[in-house]
Amino acid sequence: MVALNSRFLLGKYREAFVVDGKGENPIKAIFTLMLKFGLIDGLLTVSKDGNSPRLIFKAEDVEIPVRNSCFGVNALLKKAVQKYRLSRLAVFGPACTFDGLNKTQYFGIGCNWTKTAVALKISFLCPGVLTDTAFLSEVVDITGKRAGVSRFYFQKGKLHYQLKTGEEITVPPSFHHRYVNSACRYCLNLSGKGTDLTAVYLKERDKVLLIVRSERGLSTLAQVQRSSPSTLYFRKADRKEVESLISFLKEKVILNITDIIERVELGFPVPKWNDNKLRKFYRLWNSIDVNSEEEVF
Amino acid sequence: MFYRDKLSFEDEEFKLKVGFLHFSSCSGCQVAFFDMFEEAVEILDTVELVYSNMLTKRRDLPRMDVAFVEGALCIEDPHHLHLVKELQKKAKLIVAVGGCASFGGVRRLSCGNQLPQPQHQSFVPITEVDLVKPKVKYAIPGCPPNPSLLYSFLLALLEINEDFLLPFELMTFSTRASGMDIFVEVVNKGFCVGCGTCSTACPTRAITYNYECSRPAFNPGLCVYCGSCLAACPQSFKPYPQPTYT
Repeated sequence: MVALNSRFLLGKYREAFVVDGKGENPIKAIFTLMLKFGLIDGLLTVSKDGNSPRLIFKAEDVEIPVRNSCFGVNALLKKAVQKYRLSRLAVFGPACTFDGLNKTQYFGIGCNWTKTAVALKISFLCPGVLTDTAFLSEVVDITGKRAGVSRFYFQKGKLHYQLKTGEEITVPPSFHHRYVNSACRYCLNLSGKGTDLTAVYLKERDKVLLIVRSERGLSTLAQVQRSSPSTLYFRKADRKEVESLISFLKEKVILNITDIIERVELGFPVPKWNDNKLRKFYRLWNSIDVNSEEEVF
Repeated sequence: MFYRDKLSFEDEEFKLKVGFLHFSSCSGCQVAFFDMFEEAVEILDTVELVYSNMLTKRRDLPRMDVAFVEGALCIEDPHHLHLVKELQKKAKLIVAVGGCASFGGVRRLSCGNQLPQPQHQSFVPITEVDLVKPKVKYAIPGCPPNPSLLYSFLLALLEINEDFLLPFELMTFSTRASGMDIFVEVVNKGFCVGCGTCSTACPTRAITYNYECSRPAFNPGLCVYCGSCLAACPQSFKPYPQPTYT
């Protein structure tokens, strides 16, 4: 039977650091430094509000999403690789972006030679994405007041929103689950398995919990640190910090698994050419033999 | 019979005989195949190109292990009818390359009765022809497919990497594919994550990205029925590197 353990929820990882950007968002600082020192030649990400994808070439233009809004990062992938011929591209987005990107890299469908064009993949821990209107409805549902969401973060295993009014609210996963994109309700990869680094936004704007998954991720951080030693401060994450994250993921993934089981039992259709991974998961859920593998290209 | 059934894997002389057959198409798929450049060097010692209307001088169709077929078959063209009969006899395995051969492609929009060949009126993809259907093992989507996809496919074929080849095998059972599939198969069934991969895969910008609702937007007038969008979608078949459950 599948155990909702760290391996399943968070995936394989080498290290977890709390990174302090000293007044600046550390992810933004990492990308700014990478562009400045030529470690990457472009950054594919989304606007700050998460509503439209951005292709960034200059260090001073770097912006990263701070809301779990909808994305479409891969819509600019072909432009980046085939039009602008970027060969050291960094990509930042939620896990589903990397599902599309990794598939493009593995099979070669969609965008030519993507396999060799991407230098770094950073995802953020995604509790499920929402549109602007879904955000408004969710906030009304929780607080009874109408307000926009300016950013999201995790604290002590809970999801929080900072509203545009400055107020901070805790979002219960059961409420959140009702408003997310419908595909996010069947997602089992909230933590961005298959990327080099996973960023978890924390309450302090200038701090993130960074989960390092690959050798490439670790060496990139080392290079960034070497190029500008005083910009970022790394501290190994406490066991408690990682465990609180796992407890959130467990709570959310249980809701997702319930939806998957319901969907399979109701016999809802799946896309053609699909190897029916939901049904496979359904079978696995009651099986004792588990064989899961991950790969980063 | 699979192309390696009677051959030893240790046989140093083994060379996979491949041919490239052209039916009704723009030849873009064949050009994409030859666009592999230096990557092709890696596989040249294991592959022998025995027939291609562009690169070989042969008129008759030799026996071959794998026939890559581009283009849709024109029912009124006697040359095509002859070629498909020959293909059935001479090829051990057929791979439909590109949208026209796999799903009809841009030929789905053809009404015929036009110059310079008004007698050419009806076109069917090779996957719909019963004579060769048992031998059509794989269909590769795209208009044209990317050279990187064709290179990876050829490598997978040489290594018999079933994990890689399986989705392309599934596609042979589907004789129709268009941008509408993204809506019918993914969006309507509640699987669209709004990642935008379909819009980047579309060669004609028939699929764009609607930022307001974070979903693809489809313009049927621009679609060439190549199937790239659904094939690229991470929800259509196994996206790497999702954990695989076996």
